[in-house]
Amino acid sequence: MATRRALKAVLIDLSGTLHIEDTAVPGAQEALARLRSAPVAVKFVTNTTKECKRNLLERLRKLNFDIQEQEIFTSLTAARNLLEQRKVRPLLLVEDSALEDFSGIDTSDPNAVVIGLAPDHFNYEMLNKAFGLILDGAPLIAIHKARYYKRKDGLALGPGPFVTGLEYATDTQATVVGKPEKTFFLEALRDLGCSPEEAVMIGDDARDDVGGGQSAGMRGILVQTGKYRAGDEGKINPAPYLTCQSFPQAVDHILQTLVQPE
Amino acid sequence: MADHKWTGCVKSLKGVILDMCGVLYDSGEGGGVPISGSIEAVKRLKESDLQLRFCTNETQATREKFVAKLQRMGFELSVSEVFSPAPAAVSILKQRGLRPHLLVHDDVVSEFDSVDKTSPNCVVIGDAADKFSYKNLNDAFQVLIGLEKPVLFSLGRGRYYKETDGLKLDVGVYMKALEYASDVEAEVVGKPSAMFFQSVLDDMGIQPHEALMIGDDLVNDVGGAQQCGMKGLQVRTGKYR
Repeated sequence: MATRRALKAVLIDLSGTLHIEDTAVPGAQEALARLRSAPVAVKFVTNTTKECKRNLLERLRKLNFDIQEQEIFTSLTAARNLLEQRKVRPLLLVEDSALEDFSGIDTSDPNAVVIGLAPDHFNYEMLNKAFGLILDGAPLIAIHKARYYKRKDGLALGPGPFVTGLEYATDTQATVVGKPEKTFFLEALRDLGCSPEEAVMIGDDARDDVGGGQSAGMRGILVQTGKYRAGDEGKINPAPYLTCQSFPQAVDHILQTLVQPE
Repeated sequence: MADHKWTGCVKSLKGVILDMCGVLYDSGEGGGVPISGSIEAVKRLKESDLQLRFCTNETQATREKFVAKLQRMGFELSVSEVFSPAPAAVSILKQRGLRPHLLVHDDVVSEFDSVDKTSPNCVVIGDAADKFSYKNLNDAFQVLIGLEKPVLFSLGRGRYYKETDGLKLDVGVYMKALEYASDVEAEVVGKPSAMFFQSVLDDMGIQPHEALMIGDDLVNDVGGAQQCGMKGLQVRTGKYR
């Protein structure tokens, strides 16, 4: 770590790290305020397929977190940025609640396919439409590739199976935009003007947050809240830069060890 | 195939297996249309000394209805000459005492009438077309994820096929989706499974090197046949691109 440069940015996961459903992690609001007093940029990064930024922000503000909308970077934002970079018009297979994050994007006469989680749209007709577009050269963009998620009535299929099916049908590879993709983290850092070596990622998911962040060149801090289960730190190689009890301890470490006084 | 090999193949040839959709006809609204010259070609093969069988991964209709459709188009063939995945799956299910949850086309459900379907301990998927809704796929997934040792049968593993109004997703796509979601590997019944081709060869009583498979699918027809030691011939009709 001797060659490490001074820390310039901190990326923070939301669900499981700052809050669990509608409850804040104890001390997280104060810890965030302390972090903001240091000379580092802060950004909040999350994988979501159905919640637009506005919904995420509303929940966090109700829990008294001091957060601005432009500080939130989600897998939906990453997909939107990619669409804008490539100047393509997407067929959006995402839930209506996520459409807000794509407002202003031209979706007429589509020449790209974006797969989020959209049970209502995942019918034979719509998937055939997506298939036809991809065969004609449209890029396949996946918000993420989760196998399934937990619903009140049991487990339900996530976007991953549908992405995998379309990959098989068209013999192509989807561009996955969410965590743990390297490009997701690089994109989150882009407007902060710092390199991955100058950033740290804090999260409760060993693979998606810590492993992904470290693969991109950042330091990764695993917090033992949210989905964390004993032994998770052993599931990735290299191991997390640091594992600590919860978000406030992560902030303490950053302030004491990583931030250099100006 | 090099010319000298081709001559050798023709000399030892005793039987021909024909894929149907994309070789004999293009499917679509109203049952589809014969590919030009194919009705006469089947007739010529039947008049030759060669044995002839038909091998399809068609699972949108019972074998009887499917054969009747081809007969109406003008093809000379009978049910006993046609091999399709559903009857093959039924015999496997009975052999292994498995009770399926079916995700198949409505018109093929009756092929499974003789199979116990209570309290399912495996999933069978076929080309269900419009029945491939999120809910139906999720129901199949919940059966698989609830089993201690999930078993998934797929009637074929095709990527897509051609209908008169364009290319359509085939069962293989949904097989892959369920494999990925439930972390299982499907057992494929139908082409390109070696067991399926072998049953056709057994019926003709010939060796693999004495048989030629003609199809429009490079992987499932030509590749599958060649894996079994048969000769494979790809036609540039149907799904060929």
